[in-house]
Amino acid sequence: MAKRSVLGLYSEEDSAADALDNLREAGFEEGEYEILTGVPYPEGTFGEAEPEHKLYRWPLIGAACGFTIALLITAGTELAYPLITGGKPILSIPAMAIIMYEGSMLGAIIFTIIGIIFESRLPRIFMGAYSEKITEGHIGVTVTTEETRTDIAETALNKAGTDGEIIRGWE
Amino acid sequence: MQEHTQLSHKQINEDLLKGVLTVPKWWLPAVSFLGLVVLTGLGAFFFMMYHGLGVTGLNRPVMWGVFIANFVFWIGISHAGIMISAILRLTQAEWRRPITRAAEVMTVFSLIAALHTPLMHVGRPWRVLYWIFPYDFSRGIWPNIRSPFVWDPSAVGTYLIASSLFVFVCLLPDIAILRDRAKKPIVKKIYAQMALGFRGTPRQWKLQILAGILLSALVLPVFVSVHSIVSWDFAVLIGVEGWHSTIFAPYFIIGAIHSGVSAVAMLMALSVWLYGLDKYIKPDHFDAIARLLIVVATTWFFFFFLEWVYALYTLAPPEIALRELQAFQWPYGPLFAIFIITSFVIPVPLWLFKRVRRSVVWMFWTTVLVNIGMWLERFLIVIPGLIRRTHMTFDWGTYHPSIVEILIVVETFAFVCLGMLLFAKVLPLVPLFDVKEGMVNRRLIKVGRRVIPATIREGLPHHYYEKKQ
Amino acid sequence: MVNDPGDRVLEPYVETDNSVETRKAVSDGLLGIHNITSNRFWQFAALFGIMFIFGIVGFVWKLSSGFDDKSTWGYYVAVFAFLMTTSSAAPMVAIAPRIANSHWRRPISRAAEIWTLAGCLNLILYIPLIWLLPSLENGRRSLWFYGQQEGVPAYSPHIWATLAIVGLVLLGLSLLWLSTLPDFAVLRDQGEGWKKKWGGKLALGWRGTSAQWNWQHHRMGVVGAFYFMMLVFVHFFISVEFLMVHVPGWIDSLYPITHAHNALQAGVATVMLTMFFLRQFGGYKDYIGLDQFWGLGKLLLALSLLWFWFWFSSFNVFWYGGKPSEQAVLELFVKGPYLYLFITIFILVFILPWFTMIWNPVRRSVWGPAILATSVLIGTLLDRIRLYVASWDVAGRSMAKELEMKMQDVPTKIQTPGYEDIFIMVGFIAGSILIFMLATRLIPAVNLWEQKEMLLYKAEIQFHRTKVTVMGKPR
Repeated sequence: MAKRSVLGLYSEEDSAADALDNLREAGFEEGEYEILTGVPYPEGTFGEAEPEHKLYRWPLIGAACGFTIALLITAGTELAYPLITGGKPILSIPAMAIIMYEGSMLGAIIFTIIGIIFESRLPRIFMGAYSEKITEGHIGVTVTTEETRTDIAETALNKAGTDGEIIRGWE
Repeated sequence: MQEHTQLSHKQINEDLLKGVLTVPKWWLPAVSFLGLVVLTGLGAFFFMMYHGLGVTGLNRPVMWGVFIANFVFWIGISHAGIMISAILRLTQAEWRRPITRAAEVMTVFSLIAALHTPLMHVGRPWRVLYWIFPYDFSRGIWPNIRSPFVWDPSAVGTYLIASSLFVFVCLLPDIAILRDRAKKPIVKKIYAQMALGFRGTPRQWKLQILAGILLSALVLPVFVSVHSIVSWDFAVLIGVEGWHSTIFAPYFIIGAIHSGVSAVAMLMALSVWLYGLDKYIKPDHFDAIARLLIVVATTWFFFFFLEWVYALYTLAPPEIALRELQAFQWPYGPLFAIFIITSFVIPVPLWLFKRVRRSVVWMFWTTVLVNIGMWLERFLIVIPGLIRRTHMTFDWGTYHPSIVEILIVVETFAFVCLGMLLFAKVLPLVPLFDVKEGMVNRRLIKVGRRVIPATIREGLPHHYYEKKQ
Repeated sequence: MVNDPGDRVLEPYVETDNSVETRKAVSDGLLGIHNITSNRFWQFAALFGIMFIFGIVGFVWKLSSGFDDKSTWGYYVAVFAFLMTTSSAAPMVAIAPRIANSHWRRPISRAAEIWTLAGCLNLILYIPLIWLLPSLENGRRSLWFYGQQEGVPAYSPHIWATLAIVGLVLLGLSLLWLSTLPDFAVLRDQGEGWKKKWGGKLALGWRGTSAQWNWQHHRMGVVGAFYFMMLVFVHFFISVEFLMVHVPGWIDSLYPITHAHNALQAGVATVMLTMFFLRQFGGYKDYIGLDQFWGLGKLLLALSLLWFWFWFSSFNVFWYGGKPSEQAVLELFVKGPYLYLFITIFILVFILPWFTMIWNPVRRSVWGPAILATSVLIGTLLDRIRLYVASWDVAGRSMAKELEMKMQDVPTKIQTPGYEDIFIMVGFIAGSILIFMLATRLIPAVNLWEQKEMLLYKAEIQFHRTKVTVMGKPR
């Protein structure tokens, strides 16, 4: 069934937290509702669940990939064209280590960036129910659910005292 | 931070997006002028490419001139941007908030500027590819992995990619604000694409904060490696006096931090003057950065002292002769004196005075002096070392930079300024969300009659974890 | 009433719990722990005391063998350098975060400062070194430009190194006294028996006026800054005069800084291990928490990475340059007889701390940092042995006048320690620990006034639906 999203805006943090309580009471589950803010609040400010993520795996995988590629490039190049320069051995570990280090770091950083974007659930093609007021200080509570349950969600949001009308959107 | 103006989110949006959503009067003339300088520099480069390196002052034995000195200088400037941002993020210093973005953006542009000169210096820039990538299998042309000239691009490339991505990720929430504020549909659409649909969910904010910390921790070791590798371009050589010194890597880095943090202070002053950010960048910020500079400058001086002392400790006549040339002979002697005076003797004693530390004007001019000195430092490392007439030198000569070289060097300065101005026209130079977070977390503690500024710390108190164990 | 949250300007006040009762509770709690001396404490003190006596026997034994054969003195100088690297550097853990105004340092700054008392032991170890160090007249390389500049005394290194080391110890003692002054006053007022008497004597009539607090704060800052500068200079002297000049051709301008960095790393490890024991066995579990392990863990992580960087910066320049004299230096310290020792050090000081401390759960634990601190300390001791034993081995080969060492001059095997060397090593390390333990009987191992001061600036508050910590920064 098609999903719809609704958004209530609040001017006070406590009202937004109340809205989450109301939604839980109305039978909505974590993941169906989200808080939208224009500024990072301390975790748990609204009584929301702590977001789980696996970001720390990304740089490790990236570093391993980068290290391997750099090792192949350096060792491969040296072995493919075994010319002694500056009296150094063909496989010069300190010289290779520098490139392998940079390769590992580059891999780690690129994977971290990809990880951050992926774990943030971005890019998001459709904005759903959203208001520009959020980046101006309002706190939004959005519910994404089946079309049939949007009324229940709206009631729960209104009960906490929204600032203005409920905004509706497609997912 | 004792001084603080608590502002509303609307006010912050208005103040910090003014430069993006409106055009200041001085902007167009400034951009046109800088654009002209950049074009002149590029013209000089094409002239050089057509006529060959003969149009420069480079000749045996001085094959590295102001191009390479300038390269080291800009690599140095690029360092402090990320360093300031990363270290202050990791230590959760509250005063970092308004200055991190500008510092990071400066890193990106100064790195590109740094790449200009060595690429131009090789005369045929496209041939650089042969030295770096093992790709031309049919012709059997292979790069020499053991050469520092392969280390360099791998390090600078990593740093450039890393710092650009760092800037981009930290920009996402601010691009989202611009997406919501922009008036023209086409502009709004572009910002919407760039914002990747950022909405400000707790997950997104958590990842954003983690990104700042994790990327800082990853970029810091890269930053250390980049200038170390640049220094090894010189230090691993044994043929040139004055270069073969183990202290070069840390010495270059501390020099980079000295010039780079000074550049950040200059940038802060310019932000206050050009964009009227005095509500965000307070005398306290200048005071903090000046205190940091005192420590950095003194450490740098100690390293400089060690570099010199150990040069004399070698008891090698050519090495001692080089030092004499560097410090006492025309034309390097006067330059050496200017270098010491401007990078240490004048600014550091001045920064000991609170009035100087808290003055935008004083801080601007003293940090300009530091950068003049630090440019000369690089010049004095590169050129006198090569100019020495030793028994193995078959061709003696001297070096004067030609007008082509000077134009290209000037171009790099104009390029960085132009880049910063163009960036500030499109994206905010002060991170809005970071400043707003500072405002949300701001608290005051009353102790008797005194009010102490306080802040909510990010992350949970550690006893939370202790109970869980 | 502003309805639009965008227009809201918030700057709410926060209450901290710094009532007289809370302050008294902190003071009483810490004094209570301080006043208890368990039997186990005395058992360990006795053990370390016996070991220290062995150390003194070894010391006398060593002196009786004379200074003629310099190659046998490597282990002795290594112990001296190790104690300089650990106990003398530990106070930096109090100085640096205090200047940076970090609150997490409060429960551990005192323990870090008490280590300066162990510095007195270094002075005893240092005295024979004055006789061991050859004068500049033997034609060795030096940083003093002896023979090139008029008026340079042949005993310049002896004079300046002595002044620097004595200066460092004096500065350390002043810092400890300044920092303990308000706590001595507490002992004077609240203590019992001999502690009350000594507290009264050492408190010098401290009453806690604003002027006194102000004076104490500024003096601690100034003495701390000078301590750091002196520490860097002392490591400069030690690494040059007792190490580098004895190996012809070892021209490593970075090494004095590497030596000082190693000290900072080992100093952090020393404090880490100290706070582990204070927490687990000293009764300070409620005061020394994960914050402290986490804070120091981050420092140790950064310093371990820097260890590699400093080492590689020197190694790479020598290795790549390919100069015969520098290859000989690498052969001596890294590739030759000390290769396996070097690999062990590399693992203990860099690989282990770096690849484990990157994990937050390791840093945010009690056992993780303690185990890694032990690894760093063992590694640092081995590193000092590697460098000093090798250098003094070369010093004993009468090559002082040569400007460069040749490959064939490099010793082919490691100098083995004599029984007296082992006695000194074990005894003096145990002696330092004993001094620390005994000092904690008079001086509270956790700073009373800094803990009480924290009550003014730290609060846990309810922030809507969650609890957060609020930290104030007075300066």
